[in-house]
Amino acid sequence: MKNIFNFLANPSRFRIFAKNVHPFSLIGMFIFIFIGLWFSLYNSPPDYQQGETVRIMYVHVPAAWMAMMVYLSMTIMSIFSLVWRHPLADILSKCSAPIGAMFTLIALVTGSIWGKPTWGTWWVWDARLTSVFILFLIYMGHIALVRAFEDEYKGARAGAILTLLGAFNLPIIKFSVDWWNTLHQPASVIKLDGPSIHIDMMVPLVLMAIGFLFFYFSFLLINVQTELNHRKLKKLFIKKLN
Amino acid sequence: MRLFFRLVYRDINLVIKGASDTGAAILFYLLAIIMFPLSSGTDTNLLTTIAGGAIWMAALFASLLSLDRLFRSDFEDGSLEQIVLSGMSMEIIVLSKCLAHWLTNGLPIVLLSPILSLIMGLDYEYWWILAITLLIGTPSLTLIGATPAALSCAIGKGGVLTALVLLPLMLPVLILGSGAISAEISGLGGKGHLYALSAIFPISLLVSPFLASRSLRLGWE
Repeated sequence: MKNIFNFLANPSRFRIFAKNVHPFSLIGMFIFIFIGLWFSLYNSPPDYQQGETVRIMYVHVPAAWMAMMVYLSMTIMSIFSLVWRHPLADILSKCSAPIGAMFTLIALVTGSIWGKPTWGTWWVWDARLTSVFILFLIYMGHIALVRAFEDEYKGARAGAILTLLGAFNLPIIKFSVDWWNTLHQPASVIKLDGPSIHIDMMVPLVLMAIGFLFFYFSFLLINVQTELNHRKLKKLFIKKLN
Repeated sequence: MRLFFRLVYRDINLVIKGASDTGAAILFYLLAIIMFPLSSGTDTNLLTTIAGGAIWMAALFASLLSLDRLFRSDFEDGSLEQIVLSGMSMEIIVLSKCLAHWLTNGLPIVLLSPILSLIMGLDYEYWWILAITLLIGTPSLTLIGATPAALSCAIGKGGVLTALVLLPLMLPVLILGSGAISAEISGLGGKGHLYALSAIFPISLLVSPFLASRSLRLGWE
């Protein structure tokens, strides 16, 4: 395992790796999202209380999971970048931020659309919604901060510091539904005593979650390739000047 | 330890002599609070309900304004480098800066809050919870803000970007602080919010000196 990490640490090697792995990730994304959508839109039961609106869940919940997952992976990569000065961790973290922000936005928007028919309101300021909104703002701050530096290396390090500072928000999001009385329902899939959701709804949810994971990988690989090409272009330009 | 207190003394001295705009932030705090009755009507009932939130928001903006300058002036004129060369560890320097900032910015905010709660029409029996939330909350604000303030030195230009990065991180403190007051007024009891608020302080005390000194080093790289 360690050898794989060492092997991929070299940016140009990672570029080739990304180029080769990307199509598979893209195929996985299409397969899982299409099957997942078919299950969630046609082949799953409507909720006995919410009716057909429950189908929003199959986009909302995976997007919210991914919003947190992406931030968690950014936090781990920030530790890598600050402790071991891993050259690739910076780039991965920087390229993850826009994708994570997009997942957060999707979770917020679909949640809002779901909230109108079921809660009777687009938005409430309860703990879960507010903490996810703060997550979105932290993502946006991260994106702005990293790009404010002229030196990419410095910008990435600054982004890593900010990511670690903002990581306190993750446990707040996860446990906000347990710590406070919220309108948002408590966790029903990821909890200690097993999921309390019916298998017919669980299957499309898991399929969509895997599809979204592949979505993240595909777009991360595209972003990383762009970033690496961009850096290489800069180096070539400097070489040409001399 | 003696160096630590001398550093704090130096920073406070600079504020008193007017070499830093931290003092102006206190004036801004007063002005911002006056804006609330002037903009949302002078109806006493309305003011009573928004008083806690308004005072907290003014406190947040006042520390936001002064935090941008926490390291900036020392960073730019080179005195921070001199202090670092004296052999003190960076984390201690950051802590001393934060202590000086809290003494000149947070403490006046806390001390002024009973008077301001009178102006805002907050019932006098609730002034203590306002003072306690501010007393616990403002050091956390200073500590949380130290890292973005140090980052803004590394960028070279601060201003809007610092606020953009800083405000989301400060929001939990604001929510819990003003939440404690409104929970106490509504009769639910603000203890729960207060406990959560006081948990933020030790966590930020542990984390922020390391991250802030990392950011300052980034500025010199």
